[in-house]
Amino acid sequence: MSDLNSADDNVARLIRHGQLQVNDGRVFAPAADEATGEDAQVAADEAPALPVDEPGWIVPLALWTTHRDTLRQRQHPVAVLLSPDSKLQDLIGEDGRVDDAGLAFIAIDFPIYTDGRGYSLAQLLRTRHGWQGELRAIGDVMIDTIHYQARVGFDSFLVKPGHDPEKALAAFRTFTVHYQKTYPKPPELLAA
Amino acid sequence: MYVYDPVDQQLVEQRVAQFTDQTQRFLDGQLTEDDFRTLRLQNGLYIQRHAPMLRIAIPYGLLAARQLRTLAHIARTWDRGYGHFSTRQNMQFNWPKLEDVPTILAELAKVQMHSIQTSGNCIRNTTSDHFAGVAPDELVNPLVWCEIIRQWSTLHPEFAFLPRKFKIAVSGAEEDRAAVGVHDIGLQAVERDGVLGFRVWVGGGLGRTPMVGHLINPFVEWQHLLTYLQAALRVYNLHGRRDNKYKARIKILVKELTPEVYAEQVDEQWQLIKGGPDTLTQEYVDTIAQRFTWPDYDESVAGEPDPTEMHAAAHPAFARWLQKNVRDHKVAGYASVTLSLKPTGVPPGDITADQMDAVADLSERYGYGEVRVSHEQNLVLADVRRSQLFSLWEELRALNMATPNIGLLTNIISCPGGDFCALANAVSIPVAEAIQARFEDLDYLFEIGELDLNISGCINACGHHHVGHIGILGVDKNGEEWYQVTLGGRQNGAAKPLPDLQSTRGGGAAIGRIIGPSFAREQVPDVVERLIQTYLRLRDSDAERFIDVVDRVGIAPFKEDVYSDPAVAKAAPAAREVAHV
Repeated sequence: MSDLNSADDNVARLIRHGQLQVNDGRVFAPAADEATGEDAQVAADEAPALPVDEPGWIVPLALWTTHRDTLRQRQHPVAVLLSPDSKLQDLIGEDGRVDDAGLAFIAIDFPIYTDGRGYSLAQLLRTRHGWQGELRAIGDVMIDTIHYQARVGFDSFLVKPGHDPEKALAAFRTFTVHYQKTYPKPPELLAA
Repeated sequence: MYVYDPVDQQLVEQRVAQFTDQTQRFLDGQLTEDDFRTLRLQNGLYIQRHAPMLRIAIPYGLLAARQLRTLAHIARTWDRGYGHFSTRQNMQFNWPKLEDVPTILAELAKVQMHSIQTSGNCIRNTTSDHFAGVAPDELVNPLVWCEIIRQWSTLHPEFAFLPRKFKIAVSGAEEDRAAVGVHDIGLQAVERDGVLGFRVWVGGGLGRTPMVGHLINPFVEWQHLLTYLQAALRVYNLHGRRDNKYKARIKILVKELTPEVYAEQVDEQWQLIKGGPDTLTQEYVDTIAQRFTWPDYDESVAGEPDPTEMHAAAHPAFARWLQKNVRDHKVAGYASVTLSLKPTGVPPGDITADQMDAVADLSERYGYGEVRVSHEQNLVLADVRRSQLFSLWEELRALNMATPNIGLLTNIISCPGGDFCALANAVSIPVAEAIQARFEDLDYLFEIGELDLNISGCINACGHHHVGHIGILGVDKNGEEWYQVTLGGRQNGAAKPLPDLQSTRGGGAAIGRIIGPSFAREQVPDVVERLIQTYLRLRDSDAERFIDVVDRVGIAPFKEDVYSDPAVAKAAPAAREVAHV
């Protein structure tokens, strides 16, 4: 997960509201995930359990589940990160919906673009669990995938290094016609 | 024939533009080999033993004459003058150049063709009955439903990156000619209280873990078909295994969850969308049906003089062809004709560019300009006037497409095998050829009667060996080619009747059982010969087919005879006499 933060972040490669901008998020990795053995002990002693209250943090679902009451109170809301095998039950309330209080956005990681679980998670969040806030695709996000991702409900996209962000932006228009009528057209098309 | 509307056409053209860009980025080094692999596979492009292989979609096996001419043109211009029909009713070209592929796709788009989703871990070409729309035993024409599924599954945003490939088949008739029991999802049209619906079989498939599908839902009303499919796919997309490609097909998920639990999970997802905006309306189904050009049958044909019987009496070869390659049609005075692509000495399913052009001409002169591809790798002219059968037969003979072997032993289904395919462990085409040569005597072939013999060059089972009455599988042992033999497989007809529904013959596939240690290539024709001898000895009459005898007596008598046969032992090369298990 660490390489989610490793790219050159001076390049505007985040597509948000149909525009390119510099990435504004970084994934908070709890120390124990990062180090092993003696280092882990040291890290666990020194590292905070939660990121400091400043803009841009994206925390793993497990951390959110444990500390959500605290995290919702922050001045700078965090985003939550889902992996392909995340269980949406951990994110939703008893009413089956995601409570957006104190939650900046939801990010879904694509560790490899051929793992399509994130597409179904996105659809379920949008159509079943009432999530209307920002839904961000991160990880192995390519020029060639964002059209599909937009159609299952993602509205922001962190284009992976090596893929021209301008071409990615243009890829929303790859298809102007679609068969599946209940899946939205990319928002940029609707706006056009 | 389904005729594109502007949306269909635009979509295919935009896909060509997208793939052209992807290919260019790959050639320019902007797209890595890894990133390009899945993208090209989703457009039917494999990297093969000799060259890329391009697989072109023939939705539910239906081709217009002009499309077949375009395929002939492509074969001549960018390939080596021939093509290969696959068991998924598609066409494969084995010798195109990567840089030519975008041009080929643009050429295809002009005649409403493409190679979208002919490979990759996505929903593949939906296959159907090659006698759809003309079979007398039909409840509903499955082509309309196939087209509805084609549109729904084409570039589906949620299901483009499934754990593994996904194949759907639709049968609309009493007899299942679409092999619905060995598909990821098999749909069989049924009627209940006067309402059309589909029996849904899930988790069938061949490959290295062959399984027969489970009846997950005995009746899904037609309006709810797409929402049910969506629910079935969503459960698979979320929960199918992705850690091991050999355990990633939906059949493994259904087995691990149990069919009951899988069905419950699908139902849970279904209830959320059932009755929602994806529910089909009669208006929509009618709109799709109206975009097909259906044959305009001439009712007076039934009354015209029919010299067929007279010719049959005078020409025994014609009589044989009538018996095996011609079927009844739902409209009196017409018949459906199968063009055999299985003459001895030609790789099963192969067709030359000249033959393609000739068949296109025949389809216009003897029918409505339509050709069907069967999953048994033959071609069908579905609407021939009975009075013209004799002249059609004479023309087909000249094209070497009148071998009277449909349903018989030499109508072998085979994959391209080790001669072409990088995955294969062994060759399959030369084995098919050796068997065909052994059974070339037509009297003997007819005496043996109905028999499906299928050959795959590796456990991926593209030659459907598991559902052959006799199945032959190429295996690699220490770098040598060996062949394993199975008996008792079948693509339909094995199911027990369901209490609440008619249509008992569908969905009843069975997987063949291995008879014992594998054989050397040289032994295979002798082994088949021995199996046939045993069958002829055991059958109670010539009405009892090979598969019936295997069902009645089991594989043991066959096994004993084969392994004790001196002719089989003699054919084994000395260096390989050790039995391989």
